[in-house]
Amino acid sequence: MRGFMTVLRKECTDNIRDRRTIISSFSLALLGPALFVGLMAFVLNTALGTSTDAVVLTVVGSENAPQLVSYLEQQNTEISREELENPKQAVIDGSHDLILVIPETYARRFSNGEINSLPLIYDSSSLGKARRNYNQVRGMIRRFAQGIGFLRLQLRGVDPSITAPVLVQEVDTASPAARALTILATLPYLLVLVIFMGGFYLAIDTTAGEREHGSLEPLLSQPTSRTQLVLGKITATSIFGAMSLVLFLASLAVAVPFVPLHKIGMSLEISLGASVGIFLVALPLIFFAASLLTVVASFAKSYKEAQTYLTIVILVPTMPLIIAQLLGVEASTTLMLVPSLSQSTLISALIIGEPVEWLHLVVSAITTGALGAGLAWLAISLYRRESILI
Amino acid sequence: MIRAEGLCKNFGNVEAVIDASFSADDGKVTALLGPNGAGKSTSLRILSTVIKPSAGSAYVDGFDVSSDPMAVCSRIGVLPHATGLYDRLSARENIRYYGELHGMERDPLEARIESLIELLDMSEFSDRRVAGFSQGQRIKVALARAIVHNPQNVLLDEPTNGLDVMATRALREIILRFKTEGRCVLFSSHVMQEVTNLCDDVIIIGRGRVQFQGTLERLKTDTGQEDLEEAFIRVIGADT
Repeated sequence: MRGFMTVLRKECTDNIRDRRTIISSFSLALLGPALFVGLMAFVLNTALGTSTDAVVLTVVGSENAPQLVSYLEQQNTEISREELENPKQAVIDGSHDLILVIPETYARRFSNGEINSLPLIYDSSSLGKARRNYNQVRGMIRRFAQGIGFLRLQLRGVDPSITAPVLVQEVDTASPAARALTILATLPYLLVLVIFMGGFYLAIDTTAGEREHGSLEPLLSQPTSRTQLVLGKITATSIFGAMSLVLFLASLAVAVPFVPLHKIGMSLEISLGASVGIFLVALPLIFFAASLLTVVASFAKSYKEAQTYLTIVILVPTMPLIIAQLLGVEASTTLMLVPSLSQSTLISALIIGEPVEWLHLVVSAITTGALGAGLAWLAISLYRRESILI
Repeated sequence: MIRAEGLCKNFGNVEAVIDASFSADDGKVTALLGPNGAGKSTSLRILSTVIKPSAGSAYVDGFDVSSDPMAVCSRIGVLPHATGLYDRLSARENIRYYGELHGMERDPLEARIESLIELLDMSEFSDRRVAGFSQGQRIKVALARAIVHNPQNVLLDEPTNGLDVMATRALREIILRFKTEGRCVLFSSHVMQEVTNLCDDVIIIGRGRVQFQGTLERLKTDTGQEDLEEAFIRVIGADT
């Protein structure tokens, strides 16, 4: 037990002094939540725009069609009348989002019953509201034109419905809340990544790093059992994984209140209790991650080689998450047998405050812990072989 | 006291050590000589328990390196070819780490580290991180770390590599001190000159086999050469 503690203490001191380890271990944990909140806020704001905000529209030559402009004003619009030399350039420059141009010939053509074609200038590649404003204005003008058309048909004694035998009625069920939940679902994925990143460099430094610096050979000629040696290293890696997760949860608790969820009538609060719950659920995964990273890094002879291997390994725990998302898997006891997938399912439930089954908690902890122990045993047996030095 | 009997070691098809038998006594300095790639390092690695012999056996103070590696580990101090220090730890922390791995209690360990720092004249840099150390400073720290548990047997793998004159002289004094303390010192080298005024016995290895073991005097009479370098070349065979 003394050898274990000695190794653990040394690896922690050694790595806490390494700037590269610190940056790699904790930057995702600290910045991830900020990124997440920014994305959430952006999606919510654009989504909310659809329902309430007025359409901003610039009209050039409004005096040519006062009837049309007053119709538009009665809709949910904010119209600014301007005289622009080159309206197309104004949209290209970005000073205006949407411009309707009414030519001087409008009134004459209108009373003559000729077709009026009005340029509606917009940029379809721009993000945000421009596209949606364009669609709305187009709809308004179509309805206006249709109304006029119907009136003219009626004056001539024709039933207007003859022009529209089939109509489409659009029913969009995507609510802002649903969109927000899609993003919320990426949170457990981020969390699994944070755990793996926390132990990433430590796993390399304690294994391939020792080999590269020639410190492994003298270390192995010390009278400390390989079991204590390797477990000390894995535990140090686990501690960094755990620290990374704690930082992430703290950073998340600070960031989440900035998400404008109240606008869509939702509330998201990751309480201290939930955070502790998430940490406990993730604990076996932290050990599993440390063992997996250590085993794989032990095969590498140099830092660079280990980095290459581990970058691939980090993708592995995210695979089940992506597959589960695609297939839309529900929480079940079988699911709890898979490390990373079981934790992310449980953590999703904890985040949105759904009840979690005890059986699921126990099965998840036991299987992930057992797999982690198996990998740790594999690492120990690797260090018992002399080929670790050659 | 170190004894090897019929040691063999092969890595795949390469036979690094073939039927090597030799011994190194307490209170003596024994040199393991040989050209590069002769099997010196492999022999020392077998003695320090990090690799297992393919055949034959070796004993340190009577303990078998294969069947009782833990007992052997606590009776040897090893200075490996690459010093293998931790750059982000101070000299003192490096030494303390190995002392703790040997299960030393805190107070005796701190006292021992203090005396080693004095012995090896390291007080100037003992609390600095190893990262910027010169090769001479590194060797001193690695040596202190190797003998922190006061081992009876000391194995040094090409210890003078990369050392300047002053550091080499300091190392020689330390080796002689080990000898007067009654320890068994076994060090490897490929330079004949550096062993002449230091060692009592030489073991000459060439092409994996032990070609000669005995005192320097016997080396001269056996080969009929007054010059030790000539004698060395005669023993290992001029064609290597």
